[in-house]
Order: sequence, then structure tokens, then C-alpha cells
Amino acid sequence: MHRTLILLAAATCACGKADRAPSPSGAPAATPPLAHATQADLARDVADAERLGTWSDVSRRWQGQTVRWTVTHHRALCGSADDCHVAAFPIQRPARQGWMPQLQFAAGQYDALTGLCGSQDPCEVAIEATLSKLEVSPELPTSVQLSNVQISPTHPRTQTARR
Amino acid sequence: MTKLIRTLALAGLTGTALGAGALTASASSHREAPAIAEDQYVDNTDVYAFISPNNPNNLVIVADYVPLLLPTSGPNFYKFSDNARYEVHIDNDGDAVPDIAYRWTFRSQRKNGATFLYNTGAVDSITSQNLNVTQTYRLEKVNERTGQTTTIMDNIPVAPWNVGKRSFANYEQVALQAVTTRNGVTSFAGPRDEPFFVDLHVFDLLGVAGAHTTDGINVMSLVIEVPITDVASKGVRPAASDTGPKSVVGIYASASRPRVRFLRDERDWDHYGSFVQVSRLGWPLINEVIIPLQDKDKFNRSQPRNDVANFGAYILDPEVPKLLNLVLHANCAPTPAGGRTDIVGLLSPSGTKAADLLRIKINQGQTNIDSHFPNGRALTDDVTDTLLTVACNNGQKIGDGVDANDKPFTTTFPYLASPNSGNP
Repeated sequence: MHRTLILLAAATCACGKADRAPSPSGAPAATPPLAHATQADLARDVADAERLGTWSDVSRRWQGQTVRWTVTHHRALCGSADDCHVAAFPIQRPARQGWMPQLQFAAGQYDALTGLCGSQDPCEVAIEATLSKLEVSPELPTSVQLSNVQISPTHPRTQTARR
Repeated sequence: MTKLIRTLALAGLTGTALGAGALTASASSHREAPAIAEDQYVDNTDVYAFISPNNPNNLVIVADYVPLLLPTSGPNFYKFSDNARYEVHIDNDGDAVPDIAYRWTFRSQRKNGATFLYNTGAVDSITSQNLNVTQTYRLEKVNERTGQTTTIMDNIPVAPWNVGKRSFANYEQVALQAVTTRNGVTSFAGPRDEPFFVDLHVFDLLGVAGAHTTDGINVMSLVIEVPITDVASKGVRPAASDTGPKSVVGIYASASRPRVRFLRDERDWDHYGSFVQVSRLGWPLINEVIIPLQDKDKFNRSQPRNDVANFGAYILDPEVPKLLNLVLHANCAPTPAGGRTDIVGLLSPSGTKAADLLRIKINQGQTNIDSHFPNGRALTDDVTDTLLTVACNNGQKIGDGVDANDKPFTTTFPYLASPNSGNP
């Protein structure tokens, strides 16, 4: 009994440490859209969470957001519709964070992506998607999953991510 | 700064001889992350994998732990932790998800607690009564798909520390008595000469000049030699013509600790809960120099199958060549517009998923001479030079000026050199 209580207390303490700025209980079912929802905004929030411990707040605000991002497709990292990652930021900038979003495509959109890029590798594409899963914590690396990915029919020659 | 010309066996690297080269290096994965540096006994340092030089149907895997050990380290000489799981994981179908694991767990014994001595007299046998402090282990094979665990061997002695000439007239004769074969698997656990060779002066502002800084240092080694059919997908060695993802196995080593430790006033500590991975390693130098400080501990806790999702951007745009240029004016190539997809390719051979796994071809016809990094890793491979050259990517071959181990490796199991003596 004594041991059980100690274990419970320890577990409670451990959970509390995961987020020093806990989110309000009873989070709303629908996520309010963010005014700034570029990948650079997300990267900034993740960096802030690292500094401030606001992990669950970042996760709560971002999960479910519709995002319109320009990303870089590398054939070597997107071998199939079931295993496709893209670079969230242009190469040749310092990689401040390691995560590369995993894409889950809407029907026909993987084919649209490969058709759009053709032999161009790497290939910048504009996508619209739902940020369906954001894992951010002090224990494990950040990972991002984008679902219902729709490919913009044209290359985003003039678009750049705000950093 | 030492200039170095090296011949590399790495596919795709051609380059001309170098007249002036920039040099840097670091220990493969010794004390590479802040958290694991505080838990030395479960810090894995290197993984090697090669087709056995004595039986081409066997695969040899070496997993080293507990870095940078001084031979004169008594009275409590180094060992494996009794409260950890040491594992070698094997992916045999290319998805970067481990299918098989070999798991070592250790138990320490003490014959006489009323002395401070590790051994109370000269030791001429691994069963000697003079060997006061001993350790034994259980080796299990785990089906990581089903969780089914099979004991391969149990209550097997760990080779003792090479205390010195007064304790061991013939240390290696005693140590090799720890080599055990059961159920087709040959195993050794114990101290060995540190096989990784490097100039660690890199951490003094990249000041390498060919200093053999790991000479005379020991490490704790786990070595197994297993039939290739034991690790191949569905137990079948792929045909020589097979070039698909099942023609290779991907290997990484890890160490795990129980989630909860209680320190007590009245007795030794207790451990509770499930095991949490605290260290992992496939390729040399990935966590050391590719993963930045902010993610090193997270890397050790994460799984290879998620490496691209979690750390892919670091691989596409590594820091190493920028540092080489900044500090040493190495004239490394800038990261190409498409990023370092060549490194991604090296991490995903034969159509496998990119991950920090040491991959080795296991096709029929593969022999020991084929096993050189990045197709497996032989003990003699100068991976520091290879990886620096890959990272710099300017067609020139560079390195740290340390090209071989101080002690020769052996041609018989466990292949690693005898550990350095505490009192030679």
C-alpha cells in the first residue's frame, strides 16, 4: 500500500513536469484557427515550448489546424503514399529543428504530387492539409503529421515560408 | 594541422589525392549526449557487424558500452549494469522496425564482502575461488513482432577485468573461458581493448593532429556470432541475386533502464516499472555530430523508424561541413539545393527505409571481405575518415590522422583485442 502510494505520487510528479504551463481543462472541441500558421510559426512555438515548457499548449493550438505550406519533396524521402516525408523548410538555411512532416494524402493526391514533380528532384510544392498530429514533449523528438493533403496544381515559384 | 590522404572504399566517393585537408573527428558515440554522459554503464559506444571470417554462414555483431575506461580503475572495476537491458535489434525486412532482438541482462556476485579486493589471490581460471567479484548474464532472443522471448544461454560468466600481472599471469587465457556456445550462438561479454581509433583532441577547438587518444583504453563488449538464417527474414538467407530490402539486415544496439528508481536510506536502491530506452546506436557518429545538442537525449530515447520524421532535416543539412569550413577553412562543398540526399541514400540501401541502422548485406555469397562500412562495419574500418569525407563532400579525402587501432584484432572469436592491463 505504502509502495503503491509512493509510485502514484511519483507518477503524478512526473506527469506534472511534462508541462509547466498546463493548458486549461476541458479544451474546446473545435480548434480556433491561428492567425499565423506557417511552418516557421510552428517552429517558433516549438522552440518556445522548449524554453518555457508550454508543450501541451502548443499541441492543443496546432492540432486540427488547416495549413497551407510550401514544402520540399525529395523522392528519397517520399517513396510511397504510405511513407512520405517532406522538408518543411528550404534547404541551405540552418536546420534549427529536425522534424520533417509525414504526409497522409487525400485520394489521388500522391499521384498528383508525383505527376507535378515529374523528374524534378527536389521539388517544391504547395500543399493544403490538416495538421492532424503534433507530438511535442520534453522527452521525445518533435514530429508532425499532415492529413488530407491536397496538392496545389502549380509549383509555388514565388512562395516562401516566413521565418 | 596534419594533412591526410586516405583511400576510401565507400561507394560513390572518388576524389583525388589531397594536398591540404581539414581534419576533425569525435569518438563514435562515447559520451555523446548530456543525459547518457551521466549514466556511463549504459552508454553504447559502437556497433560493428561483419560476416564471420571463419564461417561465411555466420554474422558477427559487436556492441560496445561503457566508454573510455582506464585500465587502472580499481577497486570497483568496470562491468555491465545489473539494472539494465542491453540489446541488439535487427530489422530484416527493410522497414526500420526491429524484428529480432538479442537481449543481455546481468547479475553481479561477490564471494567475500569482508575485503576490498576484486580478487583475493592469483586467478588462473574463470571459476577461480580467488575471483571475488564476478558477473554472469542471460542472453535471450526476442521476437520483436510477437514479444516471444527464448533463452539462448543463462548464468554465463562475464570475463573479468584485467586487473594486472599480479592477479593474472595469463589474463587472456582466463578471459577466453568466457566464450560460450549454446543453441548455435557463440557469445562473449566482458572488457576488451577499445577498438575505435580516433583523435579526441577534436573537442579542443577541432585541434586534431593524429593523436592516438583511445590507445590503452578499454571498453565493455558484447559479441555474438549467429547463423545468418537466425536473423534473416523468415529464416531464409536471401539469394545472391536478391537486391531488395530483405537482402540486408539493419542493426542497432540499445540500452534501457527501469522507469523508476527509489533511493532508500535503509538499503540499496530499488527499481520499478517498464524499461525505457536511454541509449541507441547504429551508424557511428550520427548522434555525435549530426544531431544537435537540443535533440541528443531525445534521439537516444527515440526509435530508428522515426528518424526521418524526427531528425531528417538535420541529415539533409548537416552542421559538420559548415563547421569544417568555418573553423578549419576546409573548403567543404556547400549543401546542395536539394539537401544531402546522398547521405539519405547511404542510410537506405537496397530500398530500405532511411534510418540510423547499420545495414549489412546477408545474401548468399557475401563473405567477410565484403563487410566494410557502410555495408556493415569491420573492426578495422576507419569510419571517422569515411564519414568526414562524406560530410565534406568536396571530392577530397580527409580524416583525423588516426588510421588504425593500437592493438591488432584477432582472427578468432571474439575478434577484439585483449583489454589493456591495469598493471602491465
